[in-house]
Amino acid sequence: MNQLLRNLFIALALIFVFGACEKDNKPAPSAKLTGRVVYQDQAIGLRSNGVQLELWQHGYQLFTKIPIYVNQDGTFSASLFDGDYQLVRLKGNGPWVDNTDTIHVALRGRLELEVPVKPYHRFANVNFSQANKKVSSSFTVEKLDNSKSLERISLYIGTTVIVDPNNNIAAASIPASEVADLTKPLQLSVNVPTSFQGRDYVFARLAVKTSGVAEMLFSEPIKIMLN
Amino acid sequence: MQKISKSLFMFLVIFLMSGCAEDWLDRKPQNIILEEQVWNDPKLIKGLLANYYDRLPAHTSLTSGWAEFAAYDEAMWSNNDDGRNNIVSYPFNRWSLWEYGLIRDINLAIENIATFGTSLSAVQVSQFSSELRFLRAFVYFEMVKRMGGVPLVTKQLIYDFKGDPTNLQQPRNREEEVYDFIASELDDIQDKLGNEDSNTRANKYVALALKSRAMLYAASIAKYNNLLAEPIMTPGREVGIPAARAQDYYEKSLLASQQLLNSGKYRLYKTNPNLGENFYEAITKKTANPEVILAQDFLVSKDKRHGFTYDNIARNVREDNLSSSSITPSLNLVEDYEFLDGSPGILKTRTADNSDYIYYSSLSGPFENKDARLYGTVIYPGTSFRATPVEIQAGVKVWDETSKSFKNVESNVLGSTYDDGGLLTGASGPQRSQTEVTNSGFYLRKYVDQTAMSSTRGIRSDMWWVRFRLGEIYLNASEAALELGKTSEALEYVNAVRERAGFGANSLKSLTLGRLQNERRVELAFEDHRVWDLMRWRKAHEIWNGDASNPDAVINALYPYRVVRPGHPTHGKYVFDKLRAPRFRAPRFFQMGNYYSSIAQSIIDNNPKVVRNPYH
Repeated sequence: MNQLLRNLFIALALIFVFGACEKDNKPAPSAKLTGRVVYQDQAIGLRSNGVQLELWQHGYQLFTKIPIYVNQDGTFSASLFDGDYQLVRLKGNGPWVDNTDTIHVALRGRLELEVPVKPYHRFANVNFSQANKKVSSSFTVEKLDNSKSLERISLYIGTTVIVDPNNNIAAASIPASEVADLTKPLQLSVNVPTSFQGRDYVFARLAVKTSGVAEMLFSEPIKIMLN
Repeated sequence: MQKISKSLFMFLVIFLMSGCAEDWLDRKPQNIILEEQVWNDPKLIKGLLANYYDRLPAHTSLTSGWAEFAAYDEAMWSNNDDGRNNIVSYPFNRWSLWEYGLIRDINLAIENIATFGTSLSAVQVSQFSSELRFLRAFVYFEMVKRMGGVPLVTKQLIYDFKGDPTNLQQPRNREEEVYDFIASELDDIQDKLGNEDSNTRANKYVALALKSRAMLYAASIAKYNNLLAEPIMTPGREVGIPAARAQDYYEKSLLASQQLLNSGKYRLYKTNPNLGENFYEAITKKTANPEVILAQDFLVSKDKRHGFTYDNIARNVREDNLSSSSITPSLNLVEDYEFLDGSPGILKTRTADNSDYIYYSSLSGPFENKDARLYGTVIYPGTSFRATPVEIQAGVKVWDETSKSFKNVESNVLGSTYDDGGLLTGASGPQRSQTEVTNSGFYLRKYVDQTAMSSTRGIRSDMWWVRFRLGEIYLNASEAALELGKTSEALEYVNAVRERAGFGANSLKSLTLGRLQNERRVELAFEDHRVWDLMRWRKAHEIWNGDASNPDAVINALYPYRVVRPGHPTHGKYVFDKLRAPRFRAPRFFQMGNYYSSIAQSIIDNNPKVVRNPYH
């Protein structure tokens, strides 16, 4: 009797362990959407975890957006199911001119997408140098759209490749009032704080703030050797 | 014999079948209260009202969302878990509120009193419906300050089951329409409310207090939103009040405040000659308090109580073996309390040329001659709670003769003794990494109950939550008067509040908005004002800009040390280190999309006429 119960119990346990979770699992999303936010084929530098694109899909009961966060180098990716989606550039969200035209995304397996935007400003001829634990930069700012004005330009340095107003060890800014002429090269420099001067390197990045737009546009982070 | 039993049987049958037929079917149900019963019985209606008062939303109060006091710049979180010290950015739905459940209940009550309340007197009907309309105005104010304009629903919506709900889908009203609705409702009901001597139910003065606050919010949004480089608004003005309305709203707010102040019904609490204790009592004393206009009351003996004291009492005076020390005020707040001579409240811990410490002979030295409201709000080093000293000392600084500098000695044992027999680390910390002990070097006093045993889980506290008090009305009046260019009147109001704090009469001779903003910060700390004030002045995104190098966006701490330098005049004195609070991680980051909270997609799906707020 005991033997029988035990066998029964083992059999039940086996059925439970091997049989249980077959039906209630759905396949994982296998399709992949990747892409970049670009202007004239150049990816746009952003704040990490700051800017979001929206993906919508009609035809299902639960209608809610799928937020896609854009990385600081302007790339994004999302794991999805095959289907037809609509991608929207959220108004007032990124450092570019509002454009609410919907982009249709027909996703079958894999898709690489370029999301075109028109920034208000961008950097050109960016150069960094370092001397006596002071990071200096020279650059020009190009104005691409006249509807909004420049607010300030900032230089950030940080210990990792993620550098922005939230992740930095030191920063310097010039307000728009001190920028007389955007066609001429500009300079910004910042001292490496004493407690970080023993490091071998820091990362430096420039940002331009357009007034009335919360997010800034960044240059590429550059590794700068301190020794 | 058989005959008798037969007739007895017949009798029984007849008795059973016919007996209580009438009563049986017409009995009143024991477990259901009918509409006619509720709306004709003032006691039952009061019971319902109590339920509605209790459900009034608050972002932070003693019971709902109290922990969020530690999510801004008034305080940090020193209990377990670091969520509130590490908010990378405030989510867009953080303040979302779509409280149509309560609105519907109130609308239903207003309609049912009119329909069923036949045996109530006309005065009772008008009083109860006015009180309900006050509650509805309060809820709409809570919604409009978070969401911008919301649909103004003032009667119950009934679905006809014909498959088309579009007639129930109301679009959002404009933001100014909601504020205008609140003003006109309050004007209409204020003389019908009754409850003259209550400070837990709405009366005429409570209506004026709400009007004073709501109109001030509307006015400052109208003014400061339009001063932004890019004003926040939607095309249909569901969000964004035209700048031209500012003047009108400021005037309405000032008038309501003046009516309240001139009524003579309320006075600033000035009973205790000890000004610090007096300010603590002004908010927390539940009897003979002429300052409190409306409060949410609690009572231990009726099991209406809360654990706010259990969670926030200073460590070495706690009576339970768990929790304590959750909300610990920041050095940022402490330094915003001015010195009584009117100089800025920055604590002097280093000599002017920053070459050496300033040595104090007592732990409370740096706080001498501070605004008395600091004592009433914050427990700082060298002060007591419930007559027990709260020992706040981080460690000792031992002089090292060879390197000519101090060496810090700190212990992770609270209340430990140093080699010289003196105190090493205080029984209330601060501690750099322990939980349930302050990390900022301060403890909360305001709203923490002095009653014995109120910090135990078994008994808990019945401290009340003040929704409106006269101190705020003075500051509302001052701000509205200042914005209207009536500076001398504004000075009169703000100086009344400052005089109570120990500044002497007419302490301010000139006034700026910045000064007044600071006055609100220190007077109304931990009363659910800070985040809303910064939002309506459109300053939140500048002060909490997420920049680690911005001192306003991070939480700073103050750690006191005892000096060990035998044979030197500084031996046994106290020095103070200012530092970034060790457990504080991400700087506060408020984005433009936070000014109006996001509306959940499910709401938009149910009612496509609802437009989204800007930036999300």
